[in-house]
Amino acid sequence: MDNVDIGLFEHDRNNTIYFYLLNADEQIYMRYGGRDARSADSYLSLDSLALAAAKGLDLHKQYQAGQLAKKPRPKEDSARNYSMLVERTFKSNACVECHLIGDFQNLHREKDGTLDKLVHLFRSPDVRTIGIELDVPKGLVVRDVSGAAKAAGMQAGDRIAKWEGDTVWTFADVQWRYDKVARTAKATRVTVERAGVFVDLTIALPVRWWWTDTRYRQSSIEPRSYFDDRALTAEEKGKLGLPLDGLASYVKYVSSMAYSVAAHDLKVGDIILSVDGKDRDEHADTASLYIILHKAPGDTGTLEVLRDGKKISMPLKTIRMSFRK
Amino acid sequence: MKFALALLLLPFGLFAQAKPADDEINWLDNYPAALREAKATGKPIFLEYRCEP
Repeated sequence: MDNVDIGLFEHDRNNTIYFYLLNADEQIYMRYGGRDARSADSYLSLDSLALAAAKGLDLHKQYQAGQLAKKPRPKEDSARNYSMLVERTFKSNACVECHLIGDFQNLHREKDGTLDKLVHLFRSPDVRTIGIELDVPKGLVVRDVSGAAKAAGMQAGDRIAKWEGDTVWTFADVQWRYDKVARTAKATRVTVERAGVFVDLTIALPVRWWWTDTRYRQSSIEPRSYFDDRALTAEEKGKLGLPLDGLASYVKYVSSMAYSVAAHDLKVGDIILSVDGKDRDEHADTASLYIILHKAPGDTGTLEVLRDGKKISMPLKTIRMSFRK
Repeated sequence: MKFALALLLLPFGLFAQAKPADDEINWLDNYPAALREAKATGKPIFLEYRCEP
């Protein structure tokens, strides 16, 4: 990644493979790639790559004919601008692994107070959260639609043509542009092509639309607390007399690392009622998400837990996964 | 899985000509050199970032 403008080639660094189609003037025609927690190749197919390549050639002809408007070049950036990354990799002649760039950008943001966890940790919001299932071999053709997208008028068979007014040709284009939507946004604008007609849609964004399953990028998510949980259902909360909008969660997994580093004393089956006395949050619907959003690595706190019908309190210690960085 | 960068460049005739049996793909691993070649030949660039296991 040396001698590469990572400002121009800016993408979610936890992708396993990622392509750009561009010209000698470094005008990017499109991106190709994108993944989710299901698989590294959820959105990859040779058919859709061929479609993208054919469109790329068409755009290149337009560029050569002077018919393609130039896009402003993004601010230049280099992996060498991140001193902690330089120390970790360049100085020891180690490989500058793709995810390390994202990780160290976040470390620097954390240091200078610009880390926005909703944006920088929860990259690449999942379009399935708003009800869009793509027919992957066909590129941006919608296979199934439900939820917010259906409510906005999207239909199976539509081809997504623009996101927030920007032309998109591939799933990577969509994922990249969708990721740029402010996390405070209440809606996102999508244009679809339907039977040759372009239709503008406004999709209302549900609560936590930006949330994605981060397990496949766990080494990039800080702090670590070594347990996994799920939000209690409304019925479960009702039975326990807990607030329906609270963050009470059921502990479904505890890593042995929790005991090794004395992070906490949680057990599978525990119900976490609050963190540091907070039983609800604007963004978090579980204790683990609350900890990620509100704690820095190394922070301590207190968990209030329901175990075998009794309320107990226990200390919490969060950890930085330093060995990867 | 180890993530590593492989910066490869492909003159874009691959998809247009589609003769994999006859043509060996000439991947480049030097970005400035690929830019120069793209400028000289008028070809677009197909750039790949890859995770190496």
